[in-house]
Amino acid sequence: MGFDLFDFFINNPLTNALLLLYGLLGRNFVLAILVLTVIIKLITLPLTFRQQVSSMKMAAMQPKIKELQEKYKSEPQKLMEEQRKLGFSPLSGCLPLLIQFPVLIGLYNAITRSLAVTPMSLLDLGKHVYSFLPNISSLMPIDSKFLIWDLGQPDTAYLIPFLPIGIIPILVILTTYLSNRLMTPPSTDPQSAQMNQTMQWMMPIMFGMFMFTAPVGLGFYWLVSNLMGVGQYYLLKPRIDHAKRQYALPNAGGTAAVSNSVVKSKSAATPAPPAPLPKSKGRGAPSIELSKPKDKDKNKK
Amino acid sequence: MKKFRGSVIALAASALVLSACSGGEPAPGGFPGVIVSDTHAYLASNFALYKVSLDNVTEVWRFGAGKNPAQPDVSFAGQPVRLGGAIVVGGGIGTSMIDNHVYGVSDETGLELWRFRGSAESREYVDGVSTDGKLIFAPNGDGNLYALDPSQLTSINEDGVERKTPRLAWTFAATNKLWSRPAVADGRLYQASMDHKLYALDAATGRLLWTFDKASAPIGVRPAIAGGMVYFGAFDNTFYALDAATGALKWRTVLDAWLWSDPIVDRGVVYSADVRGKVHALKADTGQALWWLETRNAVRAQPVISGDTLYVVSLDTLVYAIDLTNVRPAADGRIEYKDVTRKWKDEVNLGRRMTSTPVLSGPNLWVPLFDGDVKLQSLDLGNGARKLAFPIKK
Repeated sequence: MGFDLFDFFINNPLTNALLLLYGLLGRNFVLAILVLTVIIKLITLPLTFRQQVSSMKMAAMQPKIKELQEKYKSEPQKLMEEQRKLGFSPLSGCLPLLIQFPVLIGLYNAITRSLAVTPMSLLDLGKHVYSFLPNISSLMPIDSKFLIWDLGQPDTAYLIPFLPIGIIPILVILTTYLSNRLMTPPSTDPQSAQMNQTMQWMMPIMFGMFMFTAPVGLGFYWLVSNLMGVGQYYLLKPRIDHAKRQYALPNAGGTAAVSNSVVKSKSAATPAPPAPLPKSKGRGAPSIELSKPKDKDKNKK
Repeated sequence: MKKFRGSVIALAASALVLSACSGGEPAPGGFPGVIVSDTHAYLASNFALYKVSLDNVTEVWRFGAGKNPAQPDVSFAGQPVRLGGAIVVGGGIGTSMIDNHVYGVSDETGLELWRFRGSAESREYVDGVSTDGKLIFAPNGDGNLYALDPSQLTSINEDGVERKTPRLAWTFAATNKLWSRPAVADGRLYQASMDHKLYALDAATGRLLWTFDKASAPIGVRPAIAGGMVYFGAFDNTFYALDAATGALKWRTVLDAWLWSDPIVDRGVVYSADVRGKVHALKADTGQALWWLETRNAVRAQPVISGDTLYVVSLDTLVYAIDLTNVRPAADGRIEYKDVTRKWKDEVNLGRRMTSTPVLSGPNLWVPLFDGDVKLQSLDLGNGARKLAFPIKK
């Protein structure tokens, strides 16, 4: 058999973990999805927080970065140097997200594999169950019934009779919108703000469209994942609010707070300098010491 | 804003290009199936049942989407059977659709003779249907095995259209999906089920004769019947041999992975294969493992034997031909393909995944392909050379 790194390190452990939970939780697949999603969200919580704060930091730096770009237009080397001095690292916001992304894809794969709706997907599942866990195979086939849904089929529990719009896709759209709205870092850059605003409604619609034809089991995963995201936001809210104050960003979540008039007035005038950034710890980008009250005091001074 | 608008347009254009690149018909959800007569092949693959001339692989007719608006726009899967003047095929499972009918199609014209729909809960026919020459045995994803008598047709009105349907002779209900065809021998049916059981039934009446319930995982194969024994593998990595008359366990051998390949018995040896790509040879009377050979991906198709050669098709896109007269395994039973005396110089790479049992016809091996433009490929049994491919490239 060919060796697949992604399968070996991500897909297979998650698939087997999901099946193991399914067995332990009384063969309730939705409960297994919920528990595994919670576990993964908890494990990746520090990364999520870092990513949020880092994004806010980068957003706060935008006016200064633009200034530098204008100033050192013909000196790219110097520009990079100045950016580095400022602690600007465009990847720092993405990196935690990039680390989480394979896990999310793996979880998605684990659910589609485990549901094994088609013979081909069952064959695929068979290749990846751990043979040292013999009880896993005895759990097959997965009981795909949950309340009024068949988890392996698209949602046919229509909100309005004869109008083929399922309950779960609608809930996915609503929760994706809510989660995006809360989790999107505010932006002081008008272009980014506009883009964020568009993404806030485009993404839920895209996911919703996908969910109309996808198995309901996946819908439950997105639902749980979105709700967890919202929960995570409120869990981290005190720290995030602290970061917002520190970087002088609009207070409300998402870009909704950055109204066009605000953006216009800001962009028309000389951009206000961002709040003082935390001091650098050594050579790299300034570290974020949000939990320490002394930073707050410094800002007040 | 203008810059942003440009990005959105670029993104939309890329999405459009990417979706166009994926072109062609979507990959099937079910496994294709093929049977051959002296002159024709009947292939159930994805969205149609095809009758193909073996001489020049031209399409004689096609039952299904795209040929005739009156024909069903559904997915077909599993092995069809010929009974009288009809080709009988089951509706399969597609990426986003399930068809829950069995169709009788005229061998001569390719037009629908009859159709059957089981319970209100009826689902897909994954592995096709079997016959004893009188009845059609159609195992369904709803857990029911339907026995149909196509010699007695009655009229029904389905979706406002007048159609013919065969008499339902009897129904047997298992407690989970039936994703394999039953084996038929000596007036008995042997039906495996995803409910971890194997059932023996009277073929004429559907009366339950015995149940084997010692497997701890689903059974997804059509058992092999030979010498008064029933042979089958299960998803609990175990191969079983039972007394065909009583269902008593004769032996069992634990192997390495799920067994989802229909076994075959030849000269006292049982051949089977697992989803991790191993082909196993076991002694039919004791279950002793004789040797195993490793392919590079899952083997779901039944191995086939012609003379002294065992042909194996794998999901790894390769076709293997092993000369059974000169197999010398290592101490652990392993044989390396490079070391066996091969009928062919090398494995033949068809470049497409294969999940379904190939069929022998004269000097050719006809291999159904799971996905891609080519649906059926013939190989020369002697040297593995590619011969004809269906459909013919224009």
